[in-house]
Amino acid sequence: MRRVGRPLLASAPSVVAWSLLAVRPVAAQDVSVAPAPKQGSTPPAAKQGSTSERPDRFTVLGQSETYVSLYRQALLPGQNGAQVPTETAVPVHEYLFANARDVDAPWQKDAIGVEFAAWGRLWPTESSSERPFDGDVQTANVRLDAGPGWARLGRQQVAGGAARFARFDGATLGVSHLGFFAEGYGGFTVLPRWNATAYQKLGKEEDTLLTVPPVQPERSSHWLAGGRVGYKTTRVSGSLSFHEQRTEGGVDHRLLGLDVGGQPMDRASVGGSALLELDTGRFATGRIWIDAAPHRLIDLGAEYLHAEPALLLSRQSVLSVFTTNGYEEVGGTVAARIATFLRLEAGGYLEAYEDNGSGERGEVAARFAWGRTRPTLVRLALSRVMAPENGYRAMRASFSHALTSRLGATLEAYGYFYDQPIAGFTTSSVYVGTATYKILDRLDALWSASVARSPYAAFDAQTMLRVTYRFDGPGRARFQ
Amino acid sequence: MSERRFHSVSATLVLWLAVVLAAVAACRSDAEPARFPHRVHLAGIPCGTPGKPACLSCVSCHDLARHDSGDRLPDAAVCDGCHQDAHKSRAILAVAPVRPSGEITIDHDKHLAMPEIRGQCVPCHAGVVDPKRSPLPPMSTCFGCHEHAEQWAKGVCTPCHDAEALRHTMPVTFLRHDNAFLRHHGDTMAQSPQAQLCQSCHTQAQCQSCHDVTQDLTVEKRRPERIESGQVHRGDFMVRHAIEARSEPAKCLSCHTVDTCDSCHAARGVSANVANPSNPHPPEWIGNNTSSPNFHGTAARRDVVSCAACHEAGPATNCIRCHKVGAYGGNPHPRGWKSSQSESSEMCRYCHG
Repeated sequence: MRRVGRPLLASAPSVVAWSLLAVRPVAAQDVSVAPAPKQGSTPPAAKQGSTSERPDRFTVLGQSETYVSLYRQALLPGQNGAQVPTETAVPVHEYLFANARDVDAPWQKDAIGVEFAAWGRLWPTESSSERPFDGDVQTANVRLDAGPGWARLGRQQVAGGAARFARFDGATLGVSHLGFFAEGYGGFTVLPRWNATAYQKLGKEEDTLLTVPPVQPERSSHWLAGGRVGYKTTRVSGSLSFHEQRTEGGVDHRLLGLDVGGQPMDRASVGGSALLELDTGRFATGRIWIDAAPHRLIDLGAEYLHAEPALLLSRQSVLSVFTTNGYEEVGGTVAARIATFLRLEAGGYLEAYEDNGSGERGEVAARFAWGRTRPTLVRLALSRVMAPENGYRAMRASFSHALTSRLGATLEAYGYFYDQPIAGFTTSSVYVGTATYKILDRLDALWSASVARSPYAAFDAQTMLRVTYRFDGPGRARFQ
Repeated sequence: MSERRFHSVSATLVLWLAVVLAAVAACRSDAEPARFPHRVHLAGIPCGTPGKPACLSCVSCHDLARHDSGDRLPDAAVCDGCHQDAHKSRAILAVAPVRPSGEITIDHDKHLAMPEIRGQCVPCHAGVVDPKRSPLPPMSTCFGCHEHAEQWAKGVCTPCHDAEALRHTMPVTFLRHDNAFLRHHGDTMAQSPQAQLCQSCHTQAQCQSCHDVTQDLTVEKRRPERIESGQVHRGDFMVRHAIEARSEPAKCLSCHTVDTCDSCHAARGVSANVANPSNPHPPEWIGNNTSSPNFHGTAARRDVVSCAACHEAGPATNCIRCHKVGAYGGNPHPRGWKSSQSESSEMCRYCHG
């Protein structure tokens, strides 16, 4: 695997933290399990307050997910519609997640948290377009709390506000007091994945087709930094944020974000956000929304959005300077639970594109659910999307049922009817089925299969096996 | 398979699905098991007098000293002490109470010792004697004594709620994730410190299940059984993605960069960055004279993100060939456009240098 070096560096804080954590269960106070009380015995209420110091109570969660692609056919045609040669392969994906929370530190209780997530893929046979090994570290960081302040070190993400969503290897520092909070972050951008030449072109075959060979990016010229200050109480919250991201030394994004929210009454909340692109001095997005539950069985939502998509492109994109056109979107959702087993849902949005054109999107759905110990769910939905040059109608039928306490199944059918033919076809259909089986309390297996016919694939068939193993069983996640 | 045959197969499958649904619906009457008759056991059995068994209390059956919820439920052997029909006892015991918010971390010993409770279970678990109520107390019962206003305001659910259980539990109060929550969940996240609210239940890895576009398996492939999730890429997204991108062009850029688009487009030969690309554009997309409609200019003004999906290649962008200063394509900047960058900056020099 070519990209081992840097992710390991990024995960170094987590490695240290996990090493420390490994000894914690031993150090934690042992709470003996009392024998079951006999009939007529004294209630355990009599055994009160025997310990003077609270033991360390922390959470450790771990999970492994293994995916084996058993078969797939005609996923997509090759270049210029060419047939893709048949390849025999059983690619295996592995996802690993682990995190620990509320671990006591010498300076403060519940002051340490660690998180790690990574995936890897093995392609065991020779392939014209896939690497034998692939993988990435998604998250690897340690979080430390001290009084009103906290820090997070390692590979992490920042989301919301001016940052929108960004991953980086670096540090975040924050402090909160009396409802006020301030945070600052900085580090090297994670995307695209590093140590993989031209990863963004997804594979070696595509690389050979490019007229301009991609260059290995110089990581020191890809970095980001930002921060936000805000105030949050039960009823009111808001923040002002700034995010600057550099690509190849030039400005990629330089944004100022404002987010406000409030809960003027128990059954309603309102919010708004604005994203100012500082290079051009224009608003990239602006949004206001309201959610309300006028009755305990009814939910309402309404939203207005203004967006100028070109401002969300990198400022290093030549095309980002070609337009200032935007669009407005207004719409809402409503959901009503009209019976214990039936909920009706509807949503619709209208779009008005600057210059010309309009669009709309909407969905109505009925959700049936019954059964407590062996739940069954049926959802039927009809949707309509109209975009400036094409649109479609869609039907979706979903069904899930727990056949036994360990065995469950789902079935889904999708049908699409396009307003304008796509590659000569006006319809496409997809059918998906899954079966899940709880082998052990900590071990689940899922088998899924799908068939489809679409303008891009005469007959698409895929099947996959997933095995999930939890390192902590339900109800045993918390060491006491 | 011909299209006609395909539609007949589709119709058959839909019909089959309808039959399955009807069959399941017809069987729904046996779905709800009987609740355990707590009231009878606690107050309906003659006890405590000579010749009668000892009276039962909650702890006669429930081992509160155990930490796992399953272990607090009695073994069938406890029932066998009185009941002859062991099979029935086991069937009732097999029905674990539904815990919509997962197991609660609570020190029963400490609570039972409180003067307000005085060793009684029923003040909190009123549902065990009232069939109209749940045997498990609602959260308002907890707040009736506790002062958790600060945690409530911050949305801090642990350690009372188990972090693992909360992974699969949607909040039922002001934080509930219904309606259009998915559309503005980023806004919600920005309104509180990173350490609180969202991350009291969610890990960063959960965010990246959807947002990490570098992963080889998308979340739709990894979670096919989640038929109610609002994943945008389910179904035949590959075909309709162009329509979706035109409909909500800003939405794609929440997670993707234009490199993501070009990765696939290059492999299919519809990228400007590959040798001998297929031309997906209609006639007169680009005109060679002033009388040509030149559709591409209007399209670029309206949806330049779609253009960038194939044509974004820095200085190699073919747009520059015609639109650089001095070339015949003219000034591409729209009216009112401005930038704080100088013309000597690297990006501006592509055209202005």
